[in-house]
Amino acid sequence: MEKILSALRALGVEQYVITEKHTDSLECFYVKKNLDLTRRADTAVTSVRVFRPFEKDGTKMLGEAEATVRPGMSGAEVRAVLERAWYAAQFVTNPWYPLPAGVKESARPDAGGFAGKPLAESMKAMTEALFAADTAQDVFLNSAELFMRRTATRIITSAGADVGWEKTDVWGEYVCQCPAPVDVETYHQFNYRGPETAALTAAAAHALEMTKARSRAVTAPKTGTYDLVLDREQLRTLLGYYVDRAAASMIYQKYSPFKLGDAVQGENITGDRLTMGLVATEPYTGFGAPMADLPLLDKGVLKAIHGGPRFAHYLGVAPTGEYRAVQVPTGDTPLEQLTAEPCLHAVSFSDFQMDPLSGHFGGELRLGFLHEDGKVIPVTGGSVNGSILDSQGHMRFSRERFSTENYDGPLAVRIGGVAVAGS
Amino acid sequence: MKVQPSAFIVEKRPLLLQLRDALCAEFDYASILAEDTVGKYYRVSRHSVSADEGDTARGFVVKALDKGRYAEYSFSVLTAEAIPEIVEAVRQLLAADVRPAGLAANTYDPPREEPTVFSGATDYELDPADCSDGEILDRLTALRDRGLAMDGAVLDFVAWMSWQRYTKLFLSREKDMTQSVMYLTGGVTAAAMKDQEVKQAYLPCSGLGGMELMAAMEENVAPCVRTALDLLHSESMIPGTYECICDPETTGMIVHEAFGHGVEMDMFVKDRAQAPQFIGKYVASPLVTMHDGASSARQTATYFFDDEGTLAHDTVVIDKGVLRTGISDLQSALALGTEPTGNGRRESFARKAYTRMTNTWFEPGQDKLEDMIASVKYGMYLQCPSSGMEDPKNWGIQCMVDIAREIKDGKLTGRIFSPVVLTGYVPDLLRSITAMSDGAELSGSGFCGKGHKEWVKVSDGGPYIKATIRLG
Repeated sequence: MEKILSALRALGVEQYVITEKHTDSLECFYVKKNLDLTRRADTAVTSVRVFRPFEKDGTKMLGEAEATVRPGMSGAEVRAVLERAWYAAQFVTNPWYPLPAGVKESARPDAGGFAGKPLAESMKAMTEALFAADTAQDVFLNSAELFMRRTATRIITSAGADVGWEKTDVWGEYVCQCPAPVDVETYHQFNYRGPETAALTAAAAHALEMTKARSRAVTAPKTGTYDLVLDREQLRTLLGYYVDRAAASMIYQKYSPFKLGDAVQGENITGDRLTMGLVATEPYTGFGAPMADLPLLDKGVLKAIHGGPRFAHYLGVAPTGEYRAVQVPTGDTPLEQLTAEPCLHAVSFSDFQMDPLSGHFGGELRLGFLHEDGKVIPVTGGSVNGSILDSQGHMRFSRERFSTENYDGPLAVRIGGVAVAGS
Repeated sequence: MKVQPSAFIVEKRPLLLQLRDALCAEFDYASILAEDTVGKYYRVSRHSVSADEGDTARGFVVKALDKGRYAEYSFSVLTAEAIPEIVEAVRQLLAADVRPAGLAANTYDPPREEPTVFSGATDYELDPADCSDGEILDRLTALRDRGLAMDGAVLDFVAWMSWQRYTKLFLSREKDMTQSVMYLTGGVTAAAMKDQEVKQAYLPCSGLGGMELMAAMEENVAPCVRTALDLLHSESMIPGTYECICDPETTGMIVHEAFGHGVEMDMFVKDRAQAPQFIGKYVASPLVTMHDGASSARQTATYFFDDEGTLAHDTVVIDKGVLRTGISDLQSALALGTEPTGNGRRESFARKAYTRMTNTWFEPGQDKLEDMIASVKYGMYLQCPSSGMEDPKNWGIQCMVDIAREIKDGKLTGRIFSPVVLTGYVPDLLRSITAMSDGAELSGSGFCGKGHKEWVKVSDGGPYIKATIRLG
């Protein structure tokens, strides 16, 4: 750190953000029930963003550029990479904005459930939890990857920030396979900040059950227009539309028409009015300012614009930092009632996508349940192609709740009139 | 000119040789990959300018085999004093108690290695590192200004360029290999707004080399703006099965997403692919010959050896419609008893090696594009692929394209549909190919993930193809 600060002083850099990150990661890769490879990654990297004020055509500018400082670099090497960034910053012609003030606080120790435990011990517990669901012969875990990660972050800025924190989490992915009657697989991810072994076992059990259902699904739904029920990760992705469109960068650059106080869910709402909050998952912003939860929507009305200091300043709103997680109140309708009328309940896609620019969502259907004529028929194949701009006034949320690392809200939503290309 | 090796790798080489010897004395097999990757990313839009480092990496990864079990250790710092600590870290990792009761461990034989000493570098005409940041941003700004000036309906016009230069050194008991590679990618995006929808068009450029490749971006400005404006009049796709003409980029996405992932042989090891049941059988029209390999084309995924020290290949995956073989990393080849094909790739030294595609493409045919369009009674001309997702187990297709242009009685009508989802069963689509144009183009501006992570540079492409595809 002293090498960096010394080089910045020598270059005359007065505004900067230094982010130091050290990661220790223990990784296990399984094929069926066999450990195939064990990895450890012990890596460190420091990014230094320099800010250079200047004037162009009478307008005050603030150029910026980033340099990466690697462990083991000599003082001369550090100075050289910072000098290149400082040079580049003079050509970055963005209008001036103030760097937000940071805070000086002692480093926060890991507050999660993995704190203080050796990574190997936590790895063993989470692996055991994952495979605890793998008890059947006809459907099983095909493969799994688990990453136990302990990360220490420190941010120092020219605007007074000196903060640090440590966190440990587990991230992983697994594939479920059901060989008969049709040999199929499904893909799943998980991420926990503590040893939530019961939650992981339950999630894997649900995934295995859905894989079995996919194996029985042999036909695609008929081409047509359906009422669609989306759940879990797909619903989180769908609602990401509002988070993306409420970003200061999107609004300032006119990619999003959202304005504070607007009824962004539309005026003609026959379904549930959407309330949504952004949840801080890190203690500080990238500029070393404390992060707090932020109400985003209240009954369909935009209450906040979020983002970093540059575009926030241009729009005249307060910078908030970057959010990854959302919280949404559940609805009043039980899932059973959401699917009581004819609909396509899509539970798995190959890659469900929501385009915040166009409002279109869709993907290839890997598993759905067609509810019609009192029957529930598993279906697979074909694609869904809808627009949230057409659907958002008629959303009906489930009473049941679903929680992940980046979402806490209704389990499912029902929306009307979505095109499906099928058989 | 040849790309020069990284001074950092050259300086660390004596220490790496010491580490190699210490590891080989301790374990049944050991290798080291050292990486130094530098690069920059420039972007200019109506409201924003940036000039930042691109994806950079500097570090080392050791792979060791002991009593049949593999372990890897990635680290950032290498000094003479650290060598015993690194050996000890690998030893501890191999002995780590991470496996719950009831789970077993796979065991492997050491790889068979031929003695190999190699040093290679790619060529360039003008090194981007020799150009001033101001000069590069001025060129991008000029492109942006041209795009914005073309039509008042243009909401934004983005021009970006990035370059990357890497040196990799691979050492094992039998191998001592060094390579230095540089590529450049760029693109222009035009955005236009209608009601609350922003429509975008994107045209990329890419290749091995340096600043000389930026010239291609100049030609893309006008077509990119025209396409974005066309999209303002687009309609929702009418679901159905259509005769389609795919442009080379869409062909590339089908090659890569729909078929390429399905022949990655780490998927064979896990029983996650249908392809093994189809080796020696027709999976595509006899018009189709498909290649993958770092030496199969000169594009952004070209290299001399992979991250496990296997020399680059040109693998013919499909030969005149018949599936011949998959592509493989080293550990998968050991599991399957096959030969690796130079496809073991890491996102960086800090990540695991998997079987990954490189330059993946269809050979051209003999048809003329205008004849292909003229042969369509009613169908769609597909352009501007945006994303895709693999499904090796079930060979399901998910590809998204931004533009389907209506063809009626052999002529483009001007009617446009967007966005469009391509679905279906991969062999059905590939067997339905009835024409391929007489030229092939590869594009390497994007990255490929394994599932939802592990991003590596790839290129893909081929000719215009005519096929029957379900669109939604």
